[in-house]
Amino acid sequence: MKKEVDANLVVDRMRYTKNKTSANMAILAILFDVFYFVNIYKSDVSNYYYNILIGGSIVFNLLFLLAAFLCSEEIKQYNENYCYLLLAMGIIQFIRIFIIPMRAHNATVVIANVERQVMLNSQFIRCVIYLVVSGVCCVYGALVGIVKSRKLKAYIATLGEEKRRD
Amino acid sequence: MANLKLQHIDKIYDGGVKAVEDFNLDVKDGELIVLVGPSGCGKSTTLRMVAGLEDISNGHLLLDGKDITRVPAKDRDMAMVFQNYALYGHMTIYENMAFSLTLRKEDPNVIHKKVLAAAEILNLTTQLNKKPGQLSGGQRQRVAMGRAIVRTPKVFLFDEPLSNLDAKLRGSTRREILLLHKRLQATMMYVTHDQTEALTLADRIVCMSMGKVQQIGTPLELYDNPANIFVATFIGLPPMNMFDVTVHEEYLEGKGFKAPLDAESKKILKSYVGKEIVLGVRPENLVEGKDIAVKVTDNENLGMNTLVHGHIQDGDRTFDRIVCKLRGWCNYKSGDTAMISINRMHFFDKETTVAITGKESK
Repeated sequence: MKKEVDANLVVDRMRYTKNKTSANMAILAILFDVFYFVNIYKSDVSNYYYNILIGGSIVFNLLFLLAAFLCSEEIKQYNENYCYLLLAMGIIQFIRIFIIPMRAHNATVVIANVERQVMLNSQFIRCVIYLVVSGVCCVYGALVGIVKSRKLKAYIATLGEEKRRD
Repeated sequence: MANLKLQHIDKIYDGGVKAVEDFNLDVKDGELIVLVGPSGCGKSTTLRMVAGLEDISNGHLLLDGKDITRVPAKDRDMAMVFQNYALYGHMTIYENMAFSLTLRKEDPNVIHKKVLAAAEILNLTTQLNKKPGQLSGGQRQRVAMGRAIVRTPKVFLFDEPLSNLDAKLRGSTRREILLLHKRLQATMMYVTHDQTEALTLADRIVCMSMGKVQQIGTPLELYDNPANIFVATFIGLPPMNMFDVTVHEEYLEGKGFKAPLDAESKKILKSYVGKEIVLGVRPENLVEGKDIAVKVTDNENLGMNTLVHGHIQDGDRTFDRIVCKLRGWCNYKSGDTAMISINRMHFFDKETTVAITGKESK
């Protein structure tokens, strides 16, 4: 009985407090995405990266920063729709591992008549870690956001009309 | 339970400026004490010393018998409400009210319960998700009070909390503070320069001037038996009329008027016959009569009463200014002569300015 009351109290508290966990997760995802693209853009391997993929990656990074920040702000207010957007962005972060880092890791380029690997193991591992952490943050933040938003929605539905307007 | 004792407290600033001198007060548990006085009289300094925001130069401050003179402000278990609300603009009302408890790392559920309870008391439940900027002055002041309530301190300190509000809001917020005091039964110290606030709120008033306590008493005591000329003129609106008079056996003689003495007044002034004293008469203690002629300069109708401003008149000559608060609706015009009598007098020693009560002759 006491546990039930406490659970209600926790949800009731959500009416006045922000979803900081999810919001902070989204910000953390942004941070690790920044680490990722700083890490990959510092590579100097002739003209290997001068193609459409890297152009797309730059545009995606910009969109990611913008969208993740927007999600952070909206999820803070328990907006469930933005949780799904953040979830999708998290999944895309995992997919991105196979787009540039994996290809660059497997590719070689000839510089001054010497064949070199485009992305060395250490850089590849860093890139993967950054994308994975960014993706995990997005997914975790989104899932927490979805659960909390649903709980709050259900709780508010049980309240009287007067309290609902608070 | 909180009993606060201020014993011989002084506040001396660098350069020897005495802001507060020999302040003594015993605040009982659940009492609402109002410190009142003009600007610069040391009332806010006294409150800040109690809060721990100013050092106490001399004397002792005791809370429930424990000396807290040198205890830091955060450990005194007192909550202060400031004139300018001191709310965090970027936080919601809920967060503002919960802030001090969050800093103390209290359980969020406990904080939630306390904030909701305080919001309920202060009728702020529907405002909790708003930012201070979205609230009116009165509501912001209620939030500031709420922030104090959630801490459940031993003593509440209010530093002119209503001074930023307009007249109407001041009235309603004042009533809310009074209700809050009745509901919480907490020990409170309240600073104001507004005597209406002091008279309506206080269990006891401490009237201060130039850093010194002039009188401590219930609102009625201060109004009815002021200890000296300062208290007499400070408490009451419009202020008490003051006249230099000479005491005779049967009457008082002032410039342009003679006021007959009743038996009790004669007894009080027995040892002052032939001497000059100060006669104090409250405007509301003047009635239409026959003893004093007043040449009217202004007539203000207030509905139930009329304020008649003028000068005491004797033939063609006019003397001291006088303000009468006459019952009912009067229509005196400038230049008219109003005849008035005194139905209650206050006497003060001209040299010491202290009230003459008749007890000093015994």
